[in-house]
Amino acid sequence: MTKLAWMLLRGGGKRGLLSSALTFVAVAVTTALIMFTIAGNFAFNERGERSAWRNPVEAVDTATAIQATKTDFVADQTIVTVYLAATGDGTPPIPPGMSAFPKPGEVWLSAPLHNLAEDLPADQLAERYGAISGVLGDEAAIHSTELVAVIGVTPDSPALAGPPVNGYAATGISDFDGQGASDTYRQYQAYMLIATVLMVVPLLVFGGAAARLTVARRDQRLAALRLIGATPGQVVRLTVAEAMLTAVAGAVVGTAGYALAIPLLRHIEIDGATWYLSDLWPAWWAVAATIAVIPLLVGISAVIGLRRVVISPLGVARRHTPPGLRAVRLLVLVALIVAFLVMSQRFIGMGAAGLTLMVTMLGATLWAINLVGPWVVGLIGKITAGLARRGSTLLAGRRLADDPRSVWRAIAGIALTGFVAGFIGVLLPDQVESPAADVVVSIQMPDDEVEAVSGYVSEAMTDAEISIMDWDDSTVLEFTTAADTAELDRFRSGLAAVSEGSVAITDIDFNRFTDQLLYDIRTGVLVVMAVSILIAMVSTAVAGASSILDRRQTYSLMHLAGTPMKVLNAARRKETLIPLVILGGGAIAVGVTLALPFAAGQGFQGGAFGLLLTASLGLLGILGASAATRPLLASVMRDTTPRPD
Amino acid sequence: MTEEVMSGRGLVKNFGSTTALAGVDFTVHRGETVAIMGPSGSGKSTLLHCLAGIMRPDSGEVNLMGQRIDSLSETQRSRLRRTRFGFLFQFGQLLPELSAEENVALPMLLDGSDKSGALQAARAWFSSLGLSGLERRRPGELSGGQAQRVALARALVTGPIVLFADEPTGALDQASGAETMQTLIKATKGQGSSLVLVTHDANIAAYCDRVVEVRDGKLTSLSAPAVAATAQPGVW
Repeated sequence: MTKLAWMLLRGGGKRGLLSSALTFVAVAVTTALIMFTIAGNFAFNERGERSAWRNPVEAVDTATAIQATKTDFVADQTIVTVYLAATGDGTPPIPPGMSAFPKPGEVWLSAPLHNLAEDLPADQLAERYGAISGVLGDEAAIHSTELVAVIGVTPDSPALAGPPVNGYAATGISDFDGQGASDTYRQYQAYMLIATVLMVVPLLVFGGAAARLTVARRDQRLAALRLIGATPGQVVRLTVAEAMLTAVAGAVVGTAGYALAIPLLRHIEIDGATWYLSDLWPAWWAVAATIAVIPLLVGISAVIGLRRVVISPLGVARRHTPPGLRAVRLLVLVALIVAFLVMSQRFIGMGAAGLTLMVTMLGATLWAINLVGPWVVGLIGKITAGLARRGSTLLAGRRLADDPRSVWRAIAGIALTGFVAGFIGVLLPDQVESPAADVVVSIQMPDDEVEAVSGYVSEAMTDAEISIMDWDDSTVLEFTTAADTAELDRFRSGLAAVSEGSVAITDIDFNRFTDQLLYDIRTGVLVVMAVSILIAMVSTAVAGASSILDRRQTYSLMHLAGTPMKVLNAARRKETLIPLVILGGGAIAVGVTLALPFAAGQGFQGGAFGLLLTASLGLLGILGASAATRPLLASVMRDTTPRPD
Repeated sequence: MTEEVMSGRGLVKNFGSTTALAGVDFTVHRGETVAIMGPSGSGKSTLLHCLAGIMRPDSGEVNLMGQRIDSLSETQRSRLRRTRFGFLFQFGQLLPELSAEENVALPMLLDGSDKSGALQAARAWFSSLGLSGLERRRPGELSGGQAQRVALARALVTGPIVLFADEPTGALDQASGAETMQTLIKATKGQGSSLVLVTHDANIAAYCDRVVEVRDGKLTSLSAPAVAATAQPGVW
């Protein structure tokens, strides 16, 4: 059967090959993008695992070492500082990236921090550490640019006392396995999952639609096979084999294409750093499963597309007025939007439950957009055809009304991502922020360090008004000073000499995590948008080429009857542009509308420029993809001897 | 003899080393219906394509109403085909997305007519071709014969000088074919257009005023009785 399928595939003629090529390209692109989304999850897990050793598991009775993690700052960057002390009970474990457990006074720095310590004046960084004992290996850092310091201390060091403002308090440990990803990377992993759903769903829909291309071209040939006595089972096996042969080739090429793209993709910065090449290559079993599952799904999709031929050997595609989609879908969306707007102010005050409710309602709104999409496409088609004054507009409108689901499939990714992008675009602050003139500096320390620290602060910051707050088991000292990075770094270096482990944190530093996360979310949204645009471009090109092949005889005959090609091209352009602008733009508008109450509540504005730019580029890209099929139309129209086949 | 509307003189067309037309002279008069017969590969479709300005002959000339058309640009010939000629093919010329009346109105819409006027003109053809009630149907909801009559309405709606038909009944059963031919001849003559019909079937050719045969790229006239001896309209 596979042999016969291979014969049919090879002997399909130029047009048969072209439709197989369309399926092949569609499967290759789908596979490459699915690999990318899967790899994204693996990449965050890799980073999460590398962050795990700083999130220690407490060993109550068997502790051989004590570990505390704090966050320090230099040159507006974060340094993760890990303090380690041997308890003296047994042999302490060897930390990742080091050759031995550090003795008190030993300091190990990650390569980027080591370089920075050499580049900056000593009083801004190097003096905090004294003599450097070694450079940490890559496995100690989450990513290639992370600033990490491991400092050996004695068990009674003040660096191990009290809960840190940022980081992990002193914990007795017996190994460096850790509790899994840091809190920050757990958040990243969660966002990556959401992005995966946003990218994979339209990809699978598109891949499935592409699979049916192979079948559509072969309807009549398969009907002929049925007429000469092939059983339905044989026809199904033949088609599945043929579609899967194409899909396996597409999946392998798509995987290779993804592998070739990794050197470029690694430059997508998350958490302020590019990726290791190995981070972006998924586990072997995930690669194998993707290459196996995608052709399988293509095969299933092909079987679904074949049902008509299998049922009747005389089954011939006939087009009827499609049943209308019900307006109740629109009501569901409107109800959800109204509910969201009514509830939005309450979400803010509801904490974790509010967040869950908000995410759930956002998900429901996404689902409703997916329900409404085809209905709106159909409606747009009817209105366009009704108002049409030109032949091309009439054609475009009728085609939209005729098959709104396939049009929606092509642009669903854009519309769904447009919604998210609209929502996020409003909430994200612009990156260009006017620097504050003053910063508020906080220093948390054990109570018995207060005297030394406050003495140092009074001496270093003579004009500062210092306030001291007594916490449960520590003291926080706070003062306001000029936002001068170099001066603050010098202050921090001096502080390290006065009180081991005391860290000065400014209010800007406190927001650094949140700002980075928001910035990364925006990067993520732009990446998802770019992927969606890519899906829409390939989808538009494949659907356009497929539609030309489906109607090649009609187009050719229309050309013979004097219809200019520009009319047909104009119809195809409008067919793409009209729903894209209305639905893509509409989805962004819905996202913006839902985000506005939060934007007003939190004072966030801006971030919309990048969104608009991406959306505009996407629109041009999709129109370009539609125009890319012009040569095919021209070749079909030039065929002066059209024959039904 | 009525006025000559179209002529081809000394038409030669080669495809590589194969000669499709080897110096063909052909004329059509106003209101005349001419059938071009010939076996497969004889060059009859090539002759139709050359006359209709779809392809250019290698030598010779084609005139319409005394004006040479084979030397026009592709754009000019496209416009000519759209406005002065009508076309009817075996099947497949209707756009599946458009209703029957929109398909008929399409040539006028493409030429800039306003939609309501174009649809009104289109609807007038439905009653005259016995298609009343089918205006809103899609091509997929029409029988083969009905679809051919809709295509005929589309070919005639612009009032062409010459209607070219290439095996117009080739995909129809006997009864539908006869019905379509009768409608085609009646409607074409009714509005004073000329018909050039390509067929390999003598029964179909017999509906026309004159029959010519292309064989090995040359044209020979068949006398009407010669055709009538082997076939009668409607008797297949």
